[in-house]
Amino acid sequence: MRFSSLAIAAITGLAMLLPALSSQAAAADGPVTFKDITGQSISLPQPAKRILLAEGRQIFAISLIHPDPVSVLAGWLGDMRRSDPKTYELYRNKFPAIESIPVLGMGNDGSFSVERAIAAKPDVAVLGMGFAPGGHASEIAKQLEAAGIPVVFTDFFVDPFRNMLPSMRILGHVLGRDAQAAAYIAFYQEHMDRIAARLSQHIGKPPSVLVETHAGMGECCFSPGKKNFGEYIAFAGGDSISAGAIPGPNGHLSLEYVIARNPDIYVATGGSHLAAIGGLVIGPGYDLTEIRSRLAKLAARPGFSAINAVQTGRVHGLFHNIISTPVNIVAIEALAKWINPSLFGDVDPERTMADINAKFLAVPLQGIYLVDLK
Amino acid sequence: MEDLTRMPAGAPADTTSVAARYDAFVRRRIAITASLLVIALAAFLLDLVTGPSDMSALQVWNALFDSGSASHSALSIVWQVRLPQACLAVLVGMALSLAGAEMQTILNNPLASPFTLGVSSAAAFGAALAIIVGAGLPGISQNWIVPANAFVFAAASVILLQGVARIRGSGIDTLVLCGIALFFTFNALTALLQFLASQQALQQLVFWIMGSLARADWPKVQVLAIVVVIIAPLSFASSWQLTVLRLGEDRARSSGINVGRLRFMSLLRVSLLTAAAMAFVGTIGFVGLAGPHIARLLLGEDHRFFLPASAMTGAAIMALASIASKTILPGALIPIGIVTALIGLPVFFSLILRPRRIG
Repeated sequence: MRFSSLAIAAITGLAMLLPALSSQAAAADGPVTFKDITGQSISLPQPAKRILLAEGRQIFAISLIHPDPVSVLAGWLGDMRRSDPKTYELYRNKFPAIESIPVLGMGNDGSFSVERAIAAKPDVAVLGMGFAPGGHASEIAKQLEAAGIPVVFTDFFVDPFRNMLPSMRILGHVLGRDAQAAAYIAFYQEHMDRIAARLSQHIGKPPSVLVETHAGMGECCFSPGKKNFGEYIAFAGGDSISAGAIPGPNGHLSLEYVIARNPDIYVATGGSHLAAIGGLVIGPGYDLTEIRSRLAKLAARPGFSAINAVQTGRVHGLFHNIISTPVNIVAIEALAKWINPSLFGDVDPERTMADINAKFLAVPLQGIYLVDLK
Repeated sequence: MEDLTRMPAGAPADTTSVAARYDAFVRRRIAITASLLVIALAAFLLDLVTGPSDMSALQVWNALFDSGSASHSALSIVWQVRLPQACLAVLVGMALSLAGAEMQTILNNPLASPFTLGVSSAAAFGAALAIIVGAGLPGISQNWIVPANAFVFAAASVILLQGVARIRGSGIDTLVLCGIALFFTFNALTALLQFLASQQALQQLVFWIMGSLARADWPKVQVLAIVVVIIAPLSFASSWQLTVLRLGEDRARSSGINVGRLRFMSLLRVSLLTAAAMAFVGTIGFVGLAGPHIARLLLGEDHRFFLPASAMTGAAIMALASIASKTILPGALIPIGIVTALIGLPVFFSLILRPRRIG
């Protein structure tokens, strides 16, 4: 367990190094060559000034390496505007021009308008794995390429544990912000390494964790499987009770299974998209009282009183929309600390967030992204 | 059907033998209905002792009747998880199957069911409005916004069906066609919402539509139990009239039955039963169609037996589906809407394909 998280950390580190070695260091205006996440070699005459962003919430990633992330967007999908309006508001306050960026689709790739995308004349289209060969929207990538728009694949969503930092580096190449990307990657890796190193020294059975994503939207418990978010839970030292029960990336646990497994820690994820339906609200725009009352309501659902986590008060809330973005290091640290408080007493995710805000993000995270019930 | 047409018709020379045959007819049907009740009860009990935690039947018994000797988690599992889910399963099965039985009779159409005539599509659209747009009735608490929407739309769709049929001067064919039109209309509207939905909301809606008993809690069980306890006797009370209606609308009219009113009251019951059931578990298609057919294949058209037996077959199918949804992937829940059809189909096929026997 410990060994494997260290090994994974090492592999991730290597994966980051390789593209750095293979690609020519980009001059600010000269041609750039690099490999995208599918291994495809990409050559651009110069770094892109305007890109098409097919996964709107990755404005987080651009915001980490570019002082004006909105200025580089030629067009994007509406997913972030819709599912995370409060964060969108933070961006709009600082960069009102975000309102006039062409929206190429409603938020899922099925609604992607190739015609609008071509009309937006981006230098490069940055697409997720859904558009890659074999993905369900791969035709769109072909159409864009046929229209003369270079296509670069990144992956923050399907296998973020392996692909997040390499994708970050690719974004750096695309935008000619290699140094900034490298600086953030180093920061991220340093924080990951600290967790891995600590856990490798630690002996003991990993505490059992129940993570419920989009808590309160449906019945208990919509939870991650072994892959994707599940890998972060394992990396942070937790034994995710849903990892063995859910075959896909996520699915429904039965409440009885939850009670029988009796997890030590309960972590709910949420955001403003759950406001109307009574789930966990957290993140920009919500105060501690409201967040805690929603979290308390979740912990008071039928059957929950019996589980260890609720009885011992180890109930926590996490802002969902940072999980598939490079600022998820804050969430990973919080998970590690919630799972092994004594081991990570000096680790302060809030501090990490403040550092990211101060050193990297063009639009700082504002509000409560992590919460304890008590 | 055969028995009924034969029984009152003609002038048999030997009246005692007719009476004896009628007695045998009734006894046989009582026996079949009773065994369906036993099967449903057995399925319910089996459902109660099945689950991903390895509780023995004895532990379940203790948690139910001797709470002092049971652990906190055993009590939680039995009282907060298994019992409400098992009760909801049985109630939903009864409600949907009974509704399907009445619908098939009053529309004189073997394909009629809450699912095929758009009621469940309407419920899904109501749920989609709540999940994707966040739109619900004012004054409804957040916990009830999805079921409330589903209920209102499901009930409204049946009432709409009524209204349209009345304007057109009530042919049952019109009613069926309108139902099918509703089915496509609401499916298209739901698909439109799905298309506009964020990924998370879409995922939630898909799970809602596939149905789940995990939504069970005591307040929901109570609401549905009240609906079933009030509606089912009203439905059984109309069984003679419904039986006569099966012989043909003209014959029912000549027997002094107000067919329009019978149809109206029946559709009202159907709307309440399906709307209440689907509001709490999502759309479950198979029970409302196949439950009544299984009962009919076993018992014939005498609604005194056919209606209660439909409720029992529905209850049994849902209880068995609940067991399957818990055991196929231990720990995870397979949506009940998927399992229901898979569980019921073998029985259904074997009944359809068996050699026909009259008696």
